[in-house]
Formats: sequence, C-alpha cells, structure tokens
Amino acid sequence: MWNVIKKLSIGLVVGLALVGIARALEFPFVFQVMFFGQAIFGAAVFMLLDAPSIGTMSGAKSVIAIVVFYVVLCTVFVSGASMWPQFDPEDEKGKIAKILKPKLAATEQGKAEELIARVKALDEQVKALEVRLMSLGSGQAVKESPVAESPVVTKAAPGDFMRMGEEQWQLQECYNCHKLKGEGGKKRGPELDNIGSYLTVDEIKQKITDPKSFMAEGFEKEWEKGKMPDKFKDVMEPNDITALATWLSTFKNTSVNTPKPIKKK
Amino acid sequence: MKAWQRGLVAACALLLLFGGTAYAQVSGTTPVEFPYTGNRTAVWIIAQLHTLFGAFILGAPIFVVISEWLGYRKQDLRYERLAKEVTKVTVILFSMTALTGGLFIFVLLAAYPQFTAWFINQFHLVFTVIYPSLFISGTVVLYMYYYTWEIWKGEKKGRHIALGVLLILIGMVTLFVINGPTSFMNTPVKADGVSPQDALAGATLWDKIANQTWMPLNLHRIDGNVAFGGFITGLIAAYMFMGAKTQEERAFYDWMGFAGNLIAVGATLFQPFTGLLLAYEMCDYDFSFCPYMMADQLSMFFEMQGAMIGLMFLAINYYVWLSLKRIEGAEKIRMSILVPIVMVAFPFVMMVVMNYYWIPDPMSLAFLLPLVFAPFVFGRFIPVTVSARTVMKIGFLMVIVGDAIWLTPHGFAATGAKMLPELELPEAWNFLAGMPGKLSAIFTLVVITVFNYVVYNRAIRQGIIVWGKIDFTSQFVLIFLAFTSIWTMGLMGAVRSLVRKYFHTYGLVPDFTAESFTPTLSYSAWWITGITVVFFAVVSFAVILTLRPSASKNQVPEGSPVPARAK
Repeated sequence: MWNVIKKLSIGLVVGLALVGIARALEFPFVFQVMFFGQAIFGAAVFMLLDAPSIGTMSGAKSVIAIVVFYVVLCTVFVSGASMWPQFDPEDEKGKIAKILKPKLAATEQGKAEELIARVKALDEQVKALEVRLMSLGSGQAVKESPVAESPVVTKAAPGDFMRMGEEQWQLQECYNCHKLKGEGGKKRGPELDNIGSYLTVDEIKQKITDPKSFMAEGFEKEWEKGKMPDKFKDVMEPNDITALATWLSTFKNTSVNTPKPIKKK
Repeated sequence: MKAWQRGLVAACALLLLFGGTAYAQVSGTTPVEFPYTGNRTAVWIIAQLHTLFGAFILGAPIFVVISEWLGYRKQDLRYERLAKEVTKVTVILFSMTALTGGLFIFVLLAAYPQFTAWFINQFHLVFTVIYPSLFISGTVVLYMYYYTWEIWKGEKKGRHIALGVLLILIGMVTLFVINGPTSFMNTPVKADGVSPQDALAGATLWDKIANQTWMPLNLHRIDGNVAFGGFITGLIAAYMFMGAKTQEERAFYDWMGFAGNLIAVGATLFQPFTGLLLAYEMCDYDFSFCPYMMADQLSMFFEMQGAMIGLMFLAINYYVWLSLKRIEGAEKIRMSILVPIVMVAFPFVMMVVMNYYWIPDPMSLAFLLPLVFAPFVFGRFIPVTVSARTVMKIGFLMVIVGDAIWLTPHGFAATGAKMLPELELPEAWNFLAGMPGKLSAIFTLVVITVFNYVVYNRAIRQGIIVWGKIDFTSQFVLIFLAFTSIWTMGLMGAVRSLVRKYFHTYGLVPDFTAESFTPTLSYSAWWITGITVVFFAVVSFAVILTLRPSASKNQVPEGSPVPARAK
C-alpha cells in the first residue's frame, strides 16, 4: 500500500509540475491533460515494478484469470482507440462521390445507372402528366406538381469556374501541402497566395498535369524527389484542371512571399 | 486432428481456391450484400484472419528449424522439444490458413466480383499456377517435416534439418509471391508521362510483382512473421506454464517462454525500421499518401500505433525485469554510470542530430554510434557504478518519456483540415511532432531494450537462473505481448489497405461502392479486436488440442527435464 501511495504522490507532483510548465509555455489545455495523464501512467508503471509477486494459479482459476485478462485487454484497446479524435467519414463521402462521378459515368455500370435514372425521371414526368390530364378532364384547378429533373439537365452551370476551381482545391486536398489564404499547408509545398502574379492559367495547368514542368525557388529538394504527385492529369477531368488553374491564377497577393516558379520544361 | 483429417481440410481449401479462381473468370456477376458487416468489412475480417494464420505458419518454421539446429548442435533437448511443440500447433494452423485463404477468395468474389475478376486476370499465372503449386509443396513438406521427426533422428538429423530449411524456403517464396499482388494494389506499376492504364498495359507479370513497395513489404513481413511466431510461442509457453503440474514442466515452459520472447524481441527491434522503409517507399510513390497517413484521415491510427508500440516495449522490458528476479546473484550486478546517462540523454541528442542529419546519413551515425557504445567502451575507465535495478528503472522512465514524445501529435484533430488553435501544438514545439521527434522516440525504445538485455546477459553470466521460479505475472506479460502484437498488426494492416483511399487498386480501379471512405478509428478498433479474439480462440484451441493430451499421456517428458538451476 505504501508503494502505491508513494508512487501515486510522485506521479501527481510530476504531473502537476508538467501541467504548470506546459501552461507557462502556452500549450493548449488538451496537451496539459495529456502530459498529466502520462505522469500518472508512469507512476502506475513504477507501482507495477515494485508490486509483490502474485501466487501461482492453476486449473479453473488460471482459466478464469486468462479470460478476465482478455476481456480487460479488449475493453482497454477498444475504449483507448475510441478516445482519440475520430475522423467523420461523412466529411469524405460527398467528396469521394464528386471525384468519382465522371469516372463512374464512363463505366458500363455508370452508364447503366444513368440510364436507369433517366428512365425513372421520364416515368415521373409521365405520371405527373397523367395526373395533370386527369385533373383537366375533371375540370379541377391544376396545381403544378414537382417534376423530377432529368439528370441530363442537372449538369453544373457553365462558366462558374471560380466556384468549381475552389471546390477542386478542397476535393484534391491541395491544402495538405500548400498554404492559401492563411489556411492549410505544413511547408511541404510553396504558399500560393501570389501565384497569379507569376504564372498564367495555362502555366498553372501545365504544373498541375506535369509537376516537373516548374520548380518553386527554395523547393529544389522537393522538386528533385518529385514530391508533388503526378496523378492529377489522371484523376481530374480536363475541365476541373482548367477551373482550378483559373481560380488559382486570381491569387495575386504580393504581401505573401510565394516562391518564384522556375520553368523546367 | 489426424493426418487424413488435416489433409482433407487442406484439400477442401485448395478446391475453394481453384474454384474461386475459375469462378472469377465468369463476368457479369452481381455483388452479394453481406448483412451486418457490409462487404468491405466482410473481406477485411477474412483477409485479416488469413494474414494472421499465414504469418504464423510462415514465421514459426524459421525459428523452429533454428531451434532444432541449436538443439542438435548443443545437444540440448529443450530446443528440440520447443521446436516440436510449436510444429504441432503450426500443422493445425496450416489447415486454418488454407481454409481462410479459400474462403477469402470466395468472399472477395461475392463482394467485389468485377474487381476480383480483373485482379485475378492481372495475376493469372500467380493465382492459378504459382501460388497453388507453392501451397501444395508447402503442405507436403510441412507434413513430411512433422512425420519424419522421429524417423530422422541421431545421425539422420541433418536430413530433417535440411527438410526444415526447404520448408522455410518454400514459405519465403510463397510470401514473396503473394506480396506481389498485395503491394500492387497500393503501388501499381507506373511510368513517367504515361497514364496508369497504359503503363499497366505495357507491364509484364514481373513488373507488376516487383512494384515499388514489394521488397519493403517482403522485409517488413518476414521480420514481422518471425516476431509474430516468437510471441505466439511465448503465448503457448504461458498457457502450458499455467497448466503445468510439476516443477520440471514449469521450468521447461519458463525457458520456452523466455526463448520465444527473446526471438520475438530480436525481430521486433527491426520492425519500426522496416515499417518506416515501407512508409517511405509509399510516400515516394505518391506523396499524397504521406499526409493522408500522418496528418489527415489516418493520423489518429498512428497515434494508436504509438500507444500500442509503447505498451509493447514496456511489456518487453517488464518481462526482462521479472526474468532478472529469478536469477540468483542478480542483485550484485552493477553497471557503469554511463549507461543511465546515455539512456537519459539519448532521445534529446537524437532529436537534435536528426534535425540536421537523417539516418542513414553518415554524419548522424557519427554522432549516435559513439553515444550508444560509450558505456561499453569508456565505462571500464569510470569507477562510478549503479545497480542493475537502478539502470532498468531509469530505462523504464525513458521508455515512458520516449513514448510520450511518440504520442505527441501536431494537434488533437482527426484531420488537418479541422485543426483549431486550441487543439494545436505551439509552433515552437512542433519538432516534438515532426519526424526527428518520432525517430528519436523509436530509437530510444530500441536502445533501452538492448541495454536492458545487456544487463540481463551480464546477470546470467554472473548468476544462476532458477528456471520455473519466475514471477507468475510474467505469464500474463507473455499473453499481453502476443495479443498486443497481433492487434497492432491488424491496425497497421488496416492502414496499409486504407491508404488506397477510394481505389481497389490505387489509380487504376476506383471503388464506386457506398463503402468507399475512411472508417473511424473506433470502428476499426472494434473489428480488429474481434478478429484478434477469433484468432486467439483458434490458437488456444489448437494448443489445448495438440499439447495437453500429449503432456498427460507421456509420463516421461519428450525433452530432458530442465534442471531448476541452470544457465
């Protein structure tokens, strides 16, 4: 018991000291809690080191002990994993559907699904017309019933390249490497707030489809290693690449130090 | 299970495999909807179970044969008995590997018929000729190895060991062959300026197999399988120790647990580095894998991995701590003061060095190697010493510190896109979450474990091991290590698969199903735990089935009784 009290006291003192230091160094609260938790965990480890030996078990007692041990392990592992912040798949589902939509449309499955959707839409239109005709025949006032739109007319409005370009920035997760408008990027790629002052729409398109075509000053190592993936020409539609390039070309904030691109091809 | 029954199970599994491959050629089949789990999770469960059984049957023979050879060379029957007992369990689990392999093909076909047909066509020769041939050869050689044990004894032992080596080679080739399609799904063949489809059209079978992550995956899995086999041996020994009726039995299973664990630890020390190599090659193939794994959707999977590996290293060192207690005279062992000094300084020096020079840059080694070897080279010239107990306690402290560094994230958000200032590490402390920080943590765990084994080695040279007298808690540590290593394997296997994002085969075959998204860590943890429990239930059953009856029937132990006081 003295072992437990002693180690726990040390753990508490160390934990509180870590919290104090972390607070002084302006670590967010969640990190302070983590440091405190680690100090207490450390105390538990040292308690275990000096714990008295447990007696030999055999027969049913050992079987029960093993089963209980497995239950504890399962509970700790599942609850431990559940305590970390959880990624919400809903954030991704819409994105993936949008990225894959043109690819699906090009497949036999996609064509069949589009055909089924069209047939359904036409069917709805026919039903709506029937209702309308019947009501006209009976002399009643007709109320416009909503007609399901055909997938043919649900295509994105042409010309809205800015919105499409921004959407592509999000869909392709360019923010993981490039900082823009003060958001995203971990210095993996150049900040792009002034890219419009250096490159034209066509040049940006060239960079997206062929990452080796331009090299940002100060990013020689990254360029050499080919850090920017060369997959975008394959995973993006030409229209989407143009939209993204057009949108990026509007960024001409000279107060941001966007590195100068050097033409390589 | 008798030989004909085992043979029947293997034959059924092969029929399933061939049938599945043939069925895959039938196009136009519609996918089956698996209730409750969904299609992706159904494939996940079977694939993971198959991988676990496969990992054991490929890893166990490596040290079984080494153990047999050591027994022959040292004329120590304990090694012989360890080898034979593990082989008995391996034979049962071999059937399970075949069965889950056949089932895997069928579940894959039912859930994703079009993709499976495409995939099998890409590796037609592998799935229809090479893999089944290797599997049949492996089955034949394994049974031959098992059933010739008693026949090829004494002077003929060399033949038996040679057969074991052949079994290892077949296992290795099988692993290398099947890793081709597995790694291809992550990093299919590609060429500059050519679309993925065109690159694939121009690729030979060898190009597809020898893709960018094939060799790193081979290395990671060979090493992982040996570690895995060792931990399972530790588990078997723990079960048997708990069920032992005599002191002699306890002494043997105490030794077996220690030997299995030692092999596992040796292989585990390399696991983080082969894993890093695999991750490096993935990032080199497509850099978008890197943020997806480390900073975005899967970042918390890596936090969990850090927690699990930290726990494993604590358990490994705790087992050494408990093992030391059963050495008479261990309390007299003293080490140079330089040992704890290096232990404490190591993570911080490493972090600074790694900020300037990356491993294997010779300059990084120029700093780190002298630091690691300093206690052994200069220790004898410094008269100040500390007890082995103190050294190990400082080691534990530094394992906790190392793991705390590993667990420090850039921020407490599951994706970088949702990072808020109140969740983010202050910029001045970002180095803790960067690769130099993580590498220093990994190296600290490894170096301290090596130092602790050096302490143990010194203790056994100067003291006497009293086998069988180990603290009973140690058996739970062995069980914990087996469970945790398998759980971690499941977690990292899930990461490797999820890295493909919304593709079945990255960049080539998109996954248009509704399950094409990153699952939560919590959801994944439930299934990983479930799969691990099923695997453990089967292994436990196999151990009871194969080892308990023989122990009760045989009045005379198969190996020599282990002296209670022996080296």
